[in-house]
Amino acid sequence: MDIKLRELSDEELILEFQKNNTEDAFNILVQRYKNPLTNFVFRFLGDYEACNDVVQETMIKIYRYKDSYSSVAKFSTWVYTIAGNLARTEYRRLRRRNIFSINDYGEDHSTYDLPDENYRPDVITDSGIKDKIIQTALLKVKETYREAVVLRDIQGLSYEEISEILGVNEGTVKSRINRGRAQLQKLLKAIHKE
Amino acid sequence: MENDEKKYEDIIKSLNGLKEVKAPANFEADLQRRINSEKLSKGEKKKFWENIFVPSKIIPSLGLVATAVVIIFVMETNSEEMDNPFLIEPRVREDVFVITEYENTETKQEEISKQKSLKKDEPVHEKRRDESELKSSEDKMITGREKSGEVEGLLDEKDVVKDQDLSAGNYSATKLALTDSSAILPPTTAPETSSDMVTGQAITKEELNFRQVQLTEEEQKTVNELKIQVQSVEKTNKSQK
Repeated sequence: MDIKLRELSDEELILEFQKNNTEDAFNILVQRYKNPLTNFVFRFLGDYEACNDVVQETMIKIYRYKDSYSSVAKFSTWVYTIAGNLARTEYRRLRRRNIFSINDYGEDHSTYDLPDENYRPDVITDSGIKDKIIQTALLKVKETYREAVVLRDIQGLSYEEISEILGVNEGTVKSRINRGRAQLQKLLKAIHKE
Repeated sequence: MENDEKKYEDIIKSLNGLKEVKAPANFEADLQRRINSEKLSKGEKKKFWENIFVPSKIIPSLGLVATAVVIIFVMETNSEEMDNPFLIEPRVREDVFVITEYENTETKQEEISKQKSLKKDEPVHEKRRDESELKSSEDKMITGREKSGEVEGLLDEKDVVKDQDLSAGNYSATKLALTDSSAILPPTTAPETSSDMVTGQAITKEELNFRQVQLTEEEQKTVNELKIQVQSVEKTNKSQK
């Protein structure tokens, strides 16, 4: 049974889960999407704990609202849409929390420059330094552009899929991706020169 | 589009080369635990109607409703307004008490003083005049007891007297006769007392007019003849003196 389920596509698995409430079908979908979703959400949020919560919440939503999926759309599109919405909500919440926790700290309302632990020499290794710099630059890109860039250049989704996930037309998607790339290029100029 | 990809080739390569971030090892276990906890909380959560129709809740609520219905029923049946007994004015026993009032006490006093002066002039009739004063003072107020008891029998006469004897002509005739002649007793009734002095449902003896004598024309003539004789006798006596 388990072997047969593993051979099924994402859409067939969710249909099996919808019709027969087969928990194994859902578990296979979780195994297939847990890492891609974690990668997507982490690159968007830049916070692993928050990313883990968002992916867990995405899976729970799939479990709870399995009947709301229609076979017209691709399963991956539906899953990324859910994850993207939750990630955006979490990102805004994190941003608010950071603003309040840093700027409103202390009685004199003065701002504090927090030391960046990521670039400490004892923490950073040569293999990881490039990743961290890119991730930091990516987080500085505008939210809407970043999401499109991550979905296209990191997750490797098609423009069509991205337009469905973001709910905008393909032209807008391409525009957002190009603008995101341009911003990223400016930020990563030094690395590329090296 | 291809030009754009060539333009940002380095960036795309850098992004593609990023290490894939993987989910934690206990991801599925945590997920299963969260799903199970949600299932339990969902199973425990009953519908609103299920919560209401639990015997432990429905019995006291029904009792409360029944009590409310009984209270409303009792209140509806006893909805007559209850007056405060301390604020109720006592009922006037008209059959026992009669309120009389004199509209013009000054005229009454004048009348009494006139009678007193007459008393001095005519000592013969002193006793009778005193009696008339007493009667008039008694007539100021007739108690209900007199009205209901002793005078009750006279009540029927009262209406007749009102209609017949107290007509203006008769009254003036009698008044003239009685005032001119000292031999005849003066009327015990004052004209005001019949209608002016007594108000409301008071009944006076004057109204009854039981002592007023109605003179016929022949009697009136004889009275006048007697008056003339008396006057002539008085004149002769005076001239002799």
